[in-house]
Amino acid sequence: MLLTTSVGSLPKPDYLTQARSQTRRGEMDPSRLRQLEQRATGEWIKAQEELGIDILVDGEQYRGDMVAYFAEHLGGFKQSGLVRSYGNRYYRKPILAGKITRPKPVTVDWWRFAQKQTRKPVKGMLTGPYTIMDWSFNEHFPSRRAASLAIARVIHEEAKDLERAGAQYIQIDEPAISTRPEEMDLAIEALGLVTRGLRAHTITHICYGDFKTIGPKLRRLPVDQIDLEFANRGFELLAFFKGKRFPKAIGLGVVDVHNHRVESTKEVVANLKKALKVFKPDQIYVDPDCGLKTRTPEEAKEKLRVVVEAAQAVRQELMN
Amino acid sequence: MITTTVGNFPKVAEDAYTTKVIGAISRWQRKELTDSELERVFQEVTKAVIQEQETAGLDLLTDGQVRWEDLLNPIARKLEGFEINGLSRWFDNNIYYRRPILHKAPRWTGPILVRDYQFAAQCTSRPLKAILPGPYTFAKMSEDRYYKSEQKFTRAMAEILHQEAKALEHAGAPFIQFDEPALGFAKPNMALAVEAIGIVTQGLKAKTALYTYFGALNGNLGSLMRAKVDVIGLDLVSSPKTIMNLKHVPIKKTLALGCLDGRNTKLESVTELHALFNVIRKILPLEQIYVNPNTGLEFLPHEQALQKIQRLQEAVVSYGER
Ligand SMILES: [Zn+2]
Repeated sequence: MLLTTSVGSLPKPDYLTQARSQTRRGEMDPSRLRQLEQRATGEWIKAQEELGIDILVDGEQYRGDMVAYFAEHLGGFKQSGLVRSYGNRYYRKPILAGKITRPKPVTVDWWRFAQKQTRKPVKGMLTGPYTIMDWSFNEHFPSRRAASLAIARVIHEEAKDLERAGAQYIQIDEPAISTRPEEMDLAIEALGLVTRGLRAHTITHICYGDFKTIGPKLRRLPVDQIDLEFANRGFELLAFFKGKRFPKAIGLGVVDVHNHRVESTKEVVANLKKALKVFKPDQIYVDPDCGLKTRTPEEAKEKLRVVVEAAQAVRQELMN
Repeated sequence: MITTTVGNFPKVAEDAYTTKVIGAISRWQRKELTDSELERVFQEVTKAVIQEQETAGLDLLTDGQVRWEDLLNPIARKLEGFEINGLSRWFDNNIYYRRPILHKAPRWTGPILVRDYQFAAQCTSRPLKAILPGPYTFAKMSEDRYYKSEQKFTRAMAEILHQEAKALEHAGAPFIQFDEPALGFAKPNMALAVEAIGIVTQGLKAKTALYTYFGALNGNLGSLMRAKVDVIGLDLVSSPKTIMNLKHVPIKKTLALGCLDGRNTKLESVTELHALFNVIRKILPLEQIYVNPNTGLEFLPHEQALQKIQRLQEAVVSYGER
């Protein structure tokens, strides 16, 4: 009960950030970059083990953007020219330009690499079809639904391969799901294609949401666990679940990833206890609100340390 | 049909003018570039964007809003009473804006966009419209820690935007547009939005427009016709129902119809656009409408943004020649 984990991304060490921009400028060989990505992945596995986390992630040291990474490795996508996302930040938005194919597994080698270094389970990490669709231009498919379902089919193959390789936990992130409540049914349908027939424990992570509108449909998401941000909303989301006997496991974000301040174990313990009034102990997984990639490696470790310490303290109390 | 755009244009063009805005802004943020050096880069891009619209053949131009981070920021930063907060999602887009926070009575202390407008207007001999956020959207998308009343905040913004609009009119703007994307979401307070735009446009002699985009107007089209503006902008792409709704609403204004998707790179064909014009023609005389992409073009990479306005112009010209 109260198993600890993280949402997915972990910060890249400076040497890797530098290596990535050198490679982009053609000053570093991609094979050298890959070595550094492996080194960083190994370091994060070790760090998570030392912190005492129960379900590990590979930290996504080899990924940039969560949608672009899949668009680059799947067939049927093109890359656009620069588009501004906010302020002075620009990115290349993928374009759905043809039939979506998966020439070969995308994440399985990295998952194997990470799993080889630990006896704790490592989660398989995928981006969901609705989010990939919503965050891409569409020049090929007649509708948003057709695009989502086509993407779902290849993400399903990827999930199956992760399961065959031995992944016990597979997370399919759908951060875009909360932007258009009217498309929740489509997101559910597409995610259902991904998780169909999987035996692994499946999870979806949703963020920045307007839960008033999508909340009632959360229980229909075809996954075993729903992972949500609780900390940056001051745990007010708990009120939504109160008295509802939620039928799935809940990933409980207990530290805010957008804030430099490291929460105290005491406050996280107090919030976990509040959550235990709404959920059963074996229903709860404890993690940060979202991916930690925007924090420094030190901040990320400190935040994870608090997650683990708080979960352990509450477990102790429950067992006594 | 009068061809125009909703407002913004990509600030960078790898395939054309330049991407130097990115570097210039970061150097300016690090204080390695002065305000006037940054302004020179903005002017260069503004000129290029206006040139592209002219070459494409558009009738009513904009300055491309190349200095604008988002719809609210340039105004909020220059008013008394606001602080700028962290990032929030801009409607149903995977794009973010900085949320203004009102912490004391808002106050207009002088013209905000007049200099930019004057610069842009002298870059072209064609009419150039000025663009402002609408009061309802401004209040809706900001955080109100002062009035704690949507009505009071919206009315106060209307007074402020009226002053800015007066200043732009005085500077020669023949057409002033107010953007109200918030009217397409949740259940907007239409009575308040209509009242507020009336405050904004009162006594203006320039042509005025209220533009809506994103979302869906659904049943609110009728109340929109009561707004005290000359032109109503409607997005026909984001919600396919909008054009159907038009058939059931008495049209009392000139319409500006968003016919191409400003949020997707896929380029509409001339045939598709002609088919759409045919549908529109059954509802109202084409001589009385403006046509434009449904949203600003900054959601697109420059290459596709330019293709969209070229295609718009091509479709309108060839429709007239049939
Ligand atoms: Zn998240």
